[in-house]
Amino acid sequence: MRIKTTFLIITLFFLLLFLRLANLQIMHGKVYRSLSQRNCIRLLPQEGIRGAILDSEERIIADSSLAYDLMVLADIKEIPEESLKEMAAILETDIKDLKPELKKRRSLSFIPLTLVEKLDIKKAFALEELKSQLGNVVIQPSSIRTYPYNQLACHVLGYLNEIDRSRLKKLSDYGYKSQDLIGFGGIEEEYDKDLRQEEGGLSVEVDHRGRFVRALGFKPPINGKKVQLTLDLRLQQLAEKCLGERTGSIVVMDPQDGAIKAMVSSPGFNPGIFIDRSNQQLRRLLNNPDAPLINRAISSSYPAGSIFKIVVAAAALETGKINLSTTFTCPGSIKMGNLEFGCWNKHGPVNLLSAIKYSCNVFFYRVGLLVGAQIIHDYALKFGFSKPTGIDLPYENTGFVPSPLWKRFSKLKNWYDGDTLNLSIGQGDLLVTPLQVARMMAVFANKGVLVDPYIVKAIQDEKVPVSKGRTLNLKKTTLEYIRAGLKKVVSDQGATAHVLADLGVDVAGKTGTAQVGRDKEPHGWFAGFLPFAEPKFVICVFLEYGKTGYAASLVGKQLIADMLKEGFI
Amino acid sequence: MKRSGLIILSIAILISTLGVFTIYSSTYQKEQKQFKALYTRQIFWLILGLAAFFIVSQIDYRHFWDITYFLYIFTILLLSMVVMFGVVRLGAQRWLKVAWVNFQPSEIAKLTIVIFLARYFSKKTIDSIASAVARFKILKGVIAPFLFVIIPVGLIVGQPDLGSGAMIFIVFIMILFFSGIKLKYVFMLIGAIIASLPILWRFLLFDYQKERLLVFLDPNIDPLGAGYTIIQSKIAIGSGGLWGRGWLSGTQSQLHFLPESHTDFIFAAFSEQWGFFGSLLLLVLYYMIIRYGLLIARRTKDDFARILAFGLTAMLGTQVFINIAMNMGLAPVVGLPLPLMSYGGSSMLVTFISLGILANIDKTRTVF
Repeated sequence: MRIKTTFLIITLFFLLLFLRLANLQIMHGKVYRSLSQRNCIRLLPQEGIRGAILDSEERIIADSSLAYDLMVLADIKEIPEESLKEMAAILETDIKDLKPELKKRRSLSFIPLTLVEKLDIKKAFALEELKSQLGNVVIQPSSIRTYPYNQLACHVLGYLNEIDRSRLKKLSDYGYKSQDLIGFGGIEEEYDKDLRQEEGGLSVEVDHRGRFVRALGFKPPINGKKVQLTLDLRLQQLAEKCLGERTGSIVVMDPQDGAIKAMVSSPGFNPGIFIDRSNQQLRRLLNNPDAPLINRAISSSYPAGSIFKIVVAAAALETGKINLSTTFTCPGSIKMGNLEFGCWNKHGPVNLLSAIKYSCNVFFYRVGLLVGAQIIHDYALKFGFSKPTGIDLPYENTGFVPSPLWKRFSKLKNWYDGDTLNLSIGQGDLLVTPLQVARMMAVFANKGVLVDPYIVKAIQDEKVPVSKGRTLNLKKTTLEYIRAGLKKVVSDQGATAHVLADLGVDVAGKTGTAQVGRDKEPHGWFAGFLPFAEPKFVICVFLEYGKTGYAASLVGKQLIADMLKEGFI
Repeated sequence: MKRSGLIILSIAILISTLGVFTIYSSTYQKEQKQFKALYTRQIFWLILGLAAFFIVSQIDYRHFWDITYFLYIFTILLLSMVVMFGVVRLGAQRWLKVAWVNFQPSEIAKLTIVIFLARYFSKKTIDSIASAVARFKILKGVIAPFLFVIIPVGLIVGQPDLGSGAMIFIVFIMILFFSGIKLKYVFMLIGAIIASLPILWRFLLFDYQKERLLVFLDPNIDPLGAGYTIIQSKIAIGSGGLWGRGWLSGTQSQLHFLPESHTDFIFAAFSEQWGFFGSLLLLVLYYMIIRYGLLIARRTKDDFARILAFGLTAMLGTQVFINIAMNMGLAPVVGLPLPLMSYGGSSMLVTFISLGILANIDKTRTVF
């Protein structure tokens, strides 16, 4: 009977339906469930606010304020023409400009599209009032960095920019996404994980036309932590003013614990231009041969010049090669093989104190030969050279101290006495950063402790633990003699930094004029501390191609004078 | 009423009740008022259907034999009236407005054609045997009934209602097969239809119908246009999972991502809420109606009754299959309702009348 065949066929067809049902609901149920959720759930990300950066007195150097983005939830067809017109009027654009923009990204209907970024607050409020008519328009606040003092302390702060590929690769495990803003350089980079806000958001259910149905969940955004620096805003301002247009750097540090009070690098930049994305300004900044983005205080190293003689003196005193009565005669130069190594004057007979005072090269040539290059190298390392200081800022340059071993192994050349002479007066292959110099100077200010410089005082009001530094176990006499020498540099008539004598505060210090090359002006250094009896500040002034240490000490003088006037000392 | 008829009735009431609930869930939060009232109207249709069932089940089915030709001409007339002054809805002219209701003559045509074919392939006397049909040559066995069927089908396809037309045609072939015509004739007809498909495609189909068929092959060619419905329907069914998302909790139908969730795609809406087990239950219920329908066809000794019972069951089964298959993306989207579930008075009424006839056949079989 054909009825049985028919029945069989119908049964088979129902079996087919059954299998399809099982395939859709059991095997692929999860896929379709997520598809249905994607259909009806929209995520409205809500950004927190990036943490502010404050100075030691809680003044805000880098702040975050809210900017408003205009987002559209639904299809453009759902927005009435009238409302679009009003919206265009508020945005001060033509309705025709608005429409293609809306249509362009229609295909990704499950993502609310951002129509206009960074609206000013007036427009945002005007749109917010219109919202009941527009229906599917969302005004979304987002965090935007502001710099109330513009360029001030720009190198310390760093800047914010869209994350680049190499950073994204490293940080994607920590929740960073492409197009995130991330700190580049300075505190913004070093403390990005603290400053960074955490995105929260609202998940809403929408119907088939993208119209809001109800809110499903809300994860509040978490604001970034505020970071308080040891920097004193007013001191920073003074330092920046004193350095002015000159290329170079100033570091002001507390010699007792290594807290950075001011750190200037010039030329600087305005971190705000990375926010505004003004291309022209950005290009000018990136193409500037003076490299304004580099923090000269820590990220670039230079020959130290006479400043380094202090290290040589300390090495000689510690090893007992000289004492206060050791005297050499300076005839204006010294001959080594065929080469003549000059001094900048004929000093006649000099001992340690007068050698420091006049910065006599010949005395230190002799001492250098007595002590030997390797021991000078070792002491230089002891004073923190050729290593990063460990300051909590990124991209620190290690500097470099040459040694006979290094020359033999990496340059495959012998170390000559001439090299020792160069090292003894801080020339040759020696490279230091202004911060390293300030740190070395601090050892004589605080009488024997190599402090660890730091710049962040507290994160979200929680004090950052401060390192006590390392006691170098220098002999009392060593410290005493060198401190006396440094004092004479300022106090004695005719000494290299005598210009600072009339400030009304006892300053000790050392100048340096570092030869760079034949056709370039030498770098100028001045490093010192004050007040002499109980030092509160170590100052290091570095002038790139600044001609002389004298020029640097003039900048130092100006700064100290201003500090006195402002009541810092 | 005998047992099979009673069972069929109970199942039909059960399915219709599920239908009312599903219609409620799909429409209760629509903005327009008339949508919100749809389930109450469906309840009204259900009561009317039940009444029709009881009346028809009391009428001797052999009266249909008597009025076959009248019915046939009446149906052609109705279908022609649709063409002339039908109500246009959703781009198709399928409804006739009588008094205060719109009704769909194509639903009546389904019934008429089954009755017509049942009479055509049977003799009035009880001693006639199916072997008489087996002796039919191609002219009498295939071409003549084909011509009788093609007139109403043509009018229906012209509405345009390709789904109903094709469905009736499939039922026609099933009845041909069941009536005892030589198999080679059946296959010749099928072959001829397949051969003429390209011509039909070229000249008979509207663009949107072609689009729907193409989209059936790959819904992603036009995800926001013609493919949208099928994608959303599959998502609705699939997201139901094993246990479903619960009463009134399916986002696909509640938030109207699924179009026509109270009519053609009511299965998807139901499936989303009640999941695999709910849907399976529904499939089993439909399967049981068909099973009992075929049982009635087998038991009766009257050729007319047998073909009639078979035809009515096949009509129901084919609609159920095509609709559910279409919901699950196994068949192209054609405007076919799911009998007993989908919202619609005509379909409800005609389905209950069909079941009433089945019940009556079941009741009277022992007379002979």
